Amino acid sequence: MAAYPGMSMGEAHRRITEYLNRFSDAVSNQDAASLRFLLSLSSNSPFLLSLADALNTFQDSGRLIKHSDHYSQFSDILFNLFRSLQTYRLGNLFDSYQAFEKAANAFIQEFRNWESAWALEALYALAYEIRVLAERADRELASNGKSPEKLKAAGSFLMKVFGVLAGKGPKRVGALYVTCQLFKVYFKLGTVHLCRSVIRSIETARIFDFEEFPKRDKVTYMYYTGRLEVFNENFPAADNKLSYALTHCNPRREANIRMILKYLIPVKLSIGILPKDWLLEKYNLVEYRDVVQALRRGDLRLLRRALQEHEDRFLRSGVFLVLEKLELQVYQRLVKKIYIIQKQKDPTKAHQVKLEVIVKALKWLEMDMDVDEVECIMSILIYKNLVKGYFAHKSKVVVLSKQDPFPKLNGKPVNS
Amino acid sequence: MEKDAKVAAEDPKVDLFEDDDEFEEFEINEEWEDKEEGKDTTQQWEDDWDDDDVNDDFSLHLKKELESNTEKS
Repeated sequence: MAAYPGMSMGEAHRRITEYLNRFSDAVSNQDAASLRFLLSLSSNSPFLLSLADALNTFQDSGRLIKHSDHYSQFSDILFNLFRSLQTYRLGNLFDSYQAFEKAANAFIQEFRNWESAWALEALYALAYEIRVLAERADRELASNGKSPEKLKAAGSFLMKVFGVLAGKGPKRVGALYVTCQLFKVYFKLGTVHLCRSVIRSIETARIFDFEEFPKRDKVTYMYYTGRLEVFNENFPAADNKLSYALTHCNPRREANIRMILKYLIPVKLSIGILPKDWLLEKYNLVEYRDVVQALRRGDLRLLRRALQEHEDRFLRSGVFLVLEKLELQVYQRLVKKIYIIQKQKDPTKAHQVKLEVIVKALKWLEMDMDVDEVECIMSILIYKNLVKGYFAHKSKVVVLSKQDPFPKLNGKPVNS
Repeated sequence: MEKDAKVAAEDPKVDLFEDDDEFEEFEINEEWEDKEEGKDTTQQWEDDWDDDDVNDDFSLHLKKELESNTEKS
């Protein structure tokens, strides 16, 4: 970790000066792509890694920075960027993050003064790097038995960047990218309630027109806000957002499509729409297969088994409760089948379903319930408009409506 | 040994700071066409599955079960 036997002082000097020139040229030429490259520490590009070696060899880059007016004006940015690179190279991620945050703050000061939006691409790189470096710094902290705190700090910095972009000028189209970085931070920290204020800004502030934002940011945004709607059990909204993400996502990005589907499928199931098996196969979401089958059949036993078998996975993604609530729809389907079977035998009596018959069916499905419990469930189904009918209590019979006794959900979730 | 134990104890903490489903970054200039021909993911949903067909295995078993021991009460 110490010596760089391959590099002479002269060579180190040359590399550092090269970086400095590239940096100042990028700014004077308004060349965002070049600037972006120069800020991307985590890319581990050979250029930056050997620059890091050069810095660790030369050790007095501060002097070089002050050497010329071209780059001395950026001394705060450059000095801290160099420090960040050096420590990054030495595997000291905590120090690297600290220095990078300072560099980033200095960069924002300059960015504010640049009138046009030319440097947005470079800003995106900055936002990305600060998050990724913070994550690594936190892992280092945790492995040293200390409390992770840098990702939270990165979140604060990103909020500041958001504030810089939330104005009337052309820079505002960058706000959605920063929002998405914030989402990633908050989701990782588990502080998703903090998403609310940026969402409110994006969706209600007059300066923003959602359509103006780049497609890739809109897709990412809809994915995360769609997931939030799933957590909040707003299924119609979740359906809208996740479907948007699905429709507009790059079809080649299969990992991303899979993630969208992972959350969209439980939503669709909740509004009575089933995914075709082709979809589950192609995107390896076979954990949903039995759930879908259970709904199709009215098989409560299969639903319970499926939930049990994949409990950990469903809990981790937060969809367990959504799937568990499908039980009512599975009951509906089962009772409907009983009704149809009865109708085949004796159409005149079919609309009267004895609770005892349902008890028998449930027993077959390894669910031990007595008539009172079944009556309770049936009354819930009626209350939620999954079944149309009434009880003839003394005879313990459900009398089904002759018209549409098992109303379809028609794309709406079960009445809560 | 102690250090190992400490690291192991920290793992659950690190575990909490995870999101299994972090969306992959798109490239800055990534471009694509919205609609894909053929098997479009948006066409893979069924809303008319809730039919009156009771000829599948499950339904036939159910029928048999309901008919069995009908005289017992």
